[in-house]
Order: sequence, then structure tokens, then C-alpha cells
Amino acid sequence: MKDSSHLPARAIQLGFLVVVMGSWFVIGRTGAISPLFVPPMEAVWLAFSRLVQTDQFWSAVRTTLMTISEAYGIAIILGILAGYLVTRSRFLTQVLEPVVSGLFSIPITLFFPLFILLFGIGPASKIAYGAAYGFFPIALNTIAGFAGVNSNHLNAARSMGFSSFGTFRHVLFPAAFPVILTGLRIGFFICFASVLGGETISSVSGVGRNIALAAELMEPARMYAWIVVVVATALALNTLVSGIENRMRGH
Amino acid sequence: MKLAHTSDKAALAESSVAISARHVTQRYGEPGDPQTVLALDNVSLEIRRGEFLCLLGPSGCGKSTLLNIIGGLIEPTDGTVTVHDAMVRGPLPDKIAFVFQESTLFPWYNVAENFGINFKYRGVARSEWKDRAIKALKSVGMADFIDHYPNQLSIGMRQRVNLARGLSSGTEILLMDEPFAALDEQSRMVLGEDLSILLAEAGKTIIFVTHSLAEAVFLSDRIALMTARPGRIKAIIDVNEPHPRMPGFMLQPRFSELRNACYASLHDEIRQAMVAAERGGETSG
Amino acid sequence: MSLTQTEMPQARAMARRPRKEFGSAAKIVWTRRLIVLGGLVIWELWTRLAGSSDVIAPPSSIARAFFSDILSDEQIRSAIALTLLEVVCAYALAIVAGLAIGLAIGSTSLSRRSLFPIILLLYAIPQVILLPLFTLGFGIGPAAKIAFGFSHGVFPVLVNVVAGMRNVHPLYLKAARSMGARRSDIIRNVTFPHMVASFFTGLRLSMTMTLLGVILAELYVSTAGVGYFTKLFAETFDPAPLFALIGTLAIIAIGLNEIVRTIERRFTRWKD
Repeated sequence: MKDSSHLPARAIQLGFLVVVMGSWFVIGRTGAISPLFVPPMEAVWLAFSRLVQTDQFWSAVRTTLMTISEAYGIAIILGILAGYLVTRSRFLTQVLEPVVSGLFSIPITLFFPLFILLFGIGPASKIAYGAAYGFFPIALNTIAGFAGVNSNHLNAARSMGFSSFGTFRHVLFPAAFPVILTGLRIGFFICFASVLGGETISSVSGVGRNIALAAELMEPARMYAWIVVVVATALALNTLVSGIENRMRGH
Repeated sequence: MKLAHTSDKAALAESSVAISARHVTQRYGEPGDPQTVLALDNVSLEIRRGEFLCLLGPSGCGKSTLLNIIGGLIEPTDGTVTVHDAMVRGPLPDKIAFVFQESTLFPWYNVAENFGINFKYRGVARSEWKDRAIKALKSVGMADFIDHYPNQLSIGMRQRVNLARGLSSGTEILLMDEPFAALDEQSRMVLGEDLSILLAEAGKTIIFVTHSLAEAVFLSDRIALMTARPGRIKAIIDVNEPHPRMPGFMLQPRFSELRNACYASLHDEIRQAMVAAERGGETSG
Repeated sequence: MSLTQTEMPQARAMARRPRKEFGSAAKIVWTRRLIVLGGLVIWELWTRLAGSSDVIAPPSSIARAFFSDILSDEQIRSAIALTLLEVVCAYALAIVAGLAIGLAIGSTSLSRRSLFPIILLLYAIPQVILLPLFTLGFGIGPAAKIAFGFSHGVFPVLVNVVAGMRNVHPLYLKAARSMGARRSDIIRNVTFPHMVASFFTGLRLSMTMTLLGVILAELYVSTAGVGYFTKLFAETFDPAPLFALIGTLAIIAIGLNEIVRTIERRFTRWKD
């Protein structure tokens, strides 16, 4: 694609950004929309700069990051293990894969109150909830990855006399890896979103709790500041992951 | 019109040149750009009315490009194409019908609707649609499947319907771009025999692009052998054999001689094309 | 020209839909049912014997609670019905908006190249953090839940519509041109039907997402509706009705999903 063709598209995107920011500025000045719902830009900026200096901010961030990592870690271990074991038997794969895939079509958010019941409203329930949610895409993709290995490759390995570990290392794992990686990527963003969701709905600490609290206390500027932090993080992560994926695909 | 021999055809059709390509050149990329690709180099060809001409060459030699240029789907960088003495400037739906490599039956329409859409754009009266469709399908043995969707048919069946759709267009000229490429050799053999019978009755002018030497010899009146990229016409071989071609033709020593002649001419071109492909060029006929 | 020996039976078989079940397929289905049944039995025995029944309820109690606490309680019933209504409203809005915006964005190359990346960027934000904001703006009634469900469900439809307009195999466009179709004809007979298939695929994901949005909103606003009752049962450590309520909602979710899937299948029968 010639570089010159990017220009009009980029111009429109820039224009879009300008319109959004501009409207926000105007709304802030004129109060056309209730400042409870859309606080003025300056107020948000002020709240943001104050927020990042508080200890409360950093401890909440730390809590949330810890929760996400633990949830994700559990999801990875259980997901890949379960996915791999299921694919060892073709029969088992056919029996279980539709069950797992069908369960995933129910929003697991429905079961969130059960997690609260079982684990209380501390971080433990969010870890369990995030892990449960992230488990599915990882397990499903692991199943797809290992089950989808080309049988010609497996036959070739057998005819060359590979040991079963050798087959795993040189055929199964490399073939399944890209699919599993996609599952890991999806699983991460699901863990990220579900932990935040759990914290927002019912929690004592963490980023989500702070957003909900700010709303409860009618402090929209602070709430917006928190939202900006999360959105910026999410977009940065997304861009990073896409960049890595594109680089990997390019080679 | 069932003409028995190419020389008879030549005698009768001295002035009826259906298609004339003159000095057709196709270049991709800007002039002065070191990355330009010369796909076709000064190709000139004349196809007579009612003739079956094959374009045979290695991958990447530009045979499909040439076909698309003749059919008005691409404008050549240089050179002209005339059809019935009129310059080609775009698709000619009333004169030319294409049959492409993969079945281009629209998957969201059933067979009948696929025929319908073809007739619609070629300006065929709606009252004729059903009869012409059924007639064409009967000739390929697929009349029972007129209400089926393409995904309910096997690849071979889809290609037959694809072929029938092209034939039913009512155009004199048929441009076929490796229509049997997606089929295995045995299916190609059978379909090739059937096609020969069908076309002998229809009296159309046909340009047929293929990779397969046997197919080219079996089906055509003349074979235009093309070089590896940049594509030029290397030689033209006459196949003097009456239509429709009989299965027995493949067993005759003359068949082997003709095929060997093609092979001898093309062998180096094929090698060259392979080397070029390995060096990183694309291979799109 | 007639069909070969091998093609004819193959053709007859393919023309017959749906596919027949063979012995091993039945075996798979029954094993699955057995595993599910076995799981329920183990669950029942474990909770009865291990006695952790103030946190996890045995299936038998759940079944009983379903009839005694859920079905018979008018407030709970109306809360569930309200949730269902919210989902349907949000879904309908999401479909209409997704289709309209998608068609607009996908219609020209420029609009797609400029606006679609913005949409994808928005799609990547975890919307749940905006939930408190939605309640500030829409209040704590059904409006907030419909709005939140809508904002979740509109994206899959939008994205699929734009993608469907884009992904048409160039060979189909070529074939249409060779038949003499003009640009407007090509949009009508090639691009549009192709997009419709993509649209219906997006409908299923949109249903899941709309459900997600509405449920999230319901759980957050725990002063009334389904969220109130889940909070009540959780805080009073009354697991049986909680499981029963959630189970009911889950079954409704599966039911809605199946309805959408049936509609999708009906309209995309021509797809491979």
C-alpha cells in the first residue's frame, strides 16, 4: 500500500479525535450535559494528576495486577493441561469439546455471585472468577491446536522412529503452538476484563472497586481519571500484542 | 455447424477471424521502477471462428493474463485486441463468456438463480431463462440439480454446472481458464471427453488455458506454446484431428508425437519458470 | 455427458440433508450424557456427605428451591422477566445500529480505512469499567441495563457487517464483471448476499455479548431486579435458591442462543 493512501484516512481519524476532544471541552464550559455525567476536562486532568500521587492509587493498581496475574496463571496451567489431556483420546475430544464450547456460550458472569459465595468479596473470588473465565478460550484453543495437528506429520514422525516425547517436542508442540498462543492472547484479555468487572461489581479493593466507589461518592472527575488509566493501559496492551503478532507473522 | 477438418475450416473461414491480438504487452509496476514485471512481451495471435485454441505454458507465463486481456477484464499496457473486428475496451457480455478455474457459481444462489443472474446481465429475456438453463444442464448431466446450492455439490459437479452456465450464455466465444485444474487427472480425462463432444455440437470459438500437455493435444485445433515469463508465443502446433475427439485418439502414436513436440518445446521453459519461482517470483499463470 | 459411476451415489448422498447418525456418533452422545449425569451424582453425594452445604447446595436442593423459591415468588419471576425484556430490547437496538453503522462504514474504502480502526480500538476497551458511568448517566433502572447491553452487543454486528462487505473473493467479482454487471449490480448481487452471511454469524456473538452486558449491569445495580436477589441470597448464605436463580438464567441464556443459532442456520444454508 502506497504511503500516500494512508493520508486521507489518518486525516479523518485525527479529525474524529479533534471533534471528540473539542466537544468535551465545549460541554465542560457550557454545562450542556450534567457535570455529574460528563465532568469538564480540566477537572478530570486535575483529579488524574492528584490521583497518581496517592498511595491509594498505587496499592489499588498493585492489587489488581496481582489478581490478574494470578487468575491468568491459573487459567494457563489448567487450560493447557486440560486441553492437552483431552486431546490424547480422539473419542474424549469428540465427547468433551462441544460441552466446553457450549458452556462458554453462557456468560460466565452469571456465576459471579457463586464465586462471591464461595470465596468472599476479597481478591480470592476475583482470582477464581478470572481464572474460570480465562480457562475456556485457553482450553478450547489448546484442544484445537493439538487436535488439529496434521496426521501426515504424525505419521512421518512415527515412520522415522520418534519417541513419544520426541513426537511431542518436534511435531505436536510446534504445530499446536500458534493456535495455543492465540488462545493465550484471548485468555489474557478476558482475565483482564473479568477481574476488573468483578472488582467493579463486588469488591473491597482494586481498580474496579475504586471506579465504583468514585461513582458512589459522586466524584465523576476521579472516576474518569481512573477510567482513563484503565483505557490507556488496555489500548497500550492491545497495540503491543498486535505489534508482536504482526512481527511474528512477518517472518 | 460440424466442421470435420481444420483445413476445411481454414478454407471456409479465411475472412472470419474471431479474435485478433496484436503486439499485446503487459507490464506491472511504474516505468523506471526496478521492480517492474513484464508479464507478456509483444504477443500476437489470431483465432479463427469456430476454432479451439489452447494456450499452453509453464506457471507464470502470463496465459491467464492474456486470456483476461482478450476478454476485456484487463487493459494491456501496450497492443490491441479486436473481437469481430471491433476493439476490445471492456467486458463483452454479448460476445464473450468466461469459465474460470475455481467454480465461480455464487454460493448464495442456487443453480437456477446462478443461471438467472448470468442471463440477466447478458440481456437474455426472462421468458427464456428456464428453458435455456435446463438445456445447458442436460448437456452436462446436471439437470436434476437445478434447485441445489453449490455447497451441496461435489467439486466435479460444481465445475460441470459452471461450464454449463458459461455455455448457456449464448455467446460465440468461450474463454476457459484452466477449468479442470481443481480436479484429479481421471476426472479431467472424463470431463475432457465429454467437453469435446459438447463443443463439437456447439460450434463455438474457444480459447482454453491449461498446464496439461495431454489435455491441450486432446482438445484443441491449435496449441499456442508460451515461454516462461515474460510470456511470448514460442510456437504454434497444429493438431489435425476431427471433432469430436474420440477416446481412442489418446492411444494413437500421432497423439504421443504431438505431445512430445509440446514437451520438447516447453521443457526448458518449465525449468526456467521453476527457477524463477524459487528465486522469489510469483507463479500466477 | 452424464455423471460418472462414483459421482452419482455421492451426489445422491450429498443432496440428502441432514446427515445421518452412525453407530459411533450415538456412542459419543451417550457418553456425554453419562458424564454429565455422573457429575451430578458426584456433586449430590459430595455435598450431602462432606456437609459444606452452606456454600454449595446439592442438586436436589437446587431443584426443590427452583420450585419453592424461584418459580413461586412473584417478585423474582418479574425480575427475571424484566431482565429478559432488557436483553431483547438491547439486542434489537444492537442489530439495527450495528447494521446501519456497519453499512455506512463499509460502503467506501476511505470510510472503512479511517473509521474501522477506531471501532476496533473501542472494541478493545474492557467496557465493564464504564458501568458506573452508565448508571450515573442512565440511572439505576432498566434504561442503564439496556444501554449497557446495547454497547456490548453492537460491536460484533458492526464488525461482521464491515468484514462481510470486504472479504468477497475477488473471483466472484471477476465473474460478475465478465457477465456484464455494473458496479451497482455487483453490490446488489455479490457484495450484499456475502455480507448477509457474515451479518448472521455476528448475530450469535452479539447475543452472547448483549447478555453479558445486561447481566453485568444487573449484578452491579443490586438495589432491585435480579441483582438484588443474587446479592440477597449470597449475603444470607442461602446457596440453594442462588444456584436455582442462576441456573434459571443460564438456561434462558442457552435458549436465546439456540434461537439465534436456528435463525442463523436458516438464512445461511448455502454456506459451506
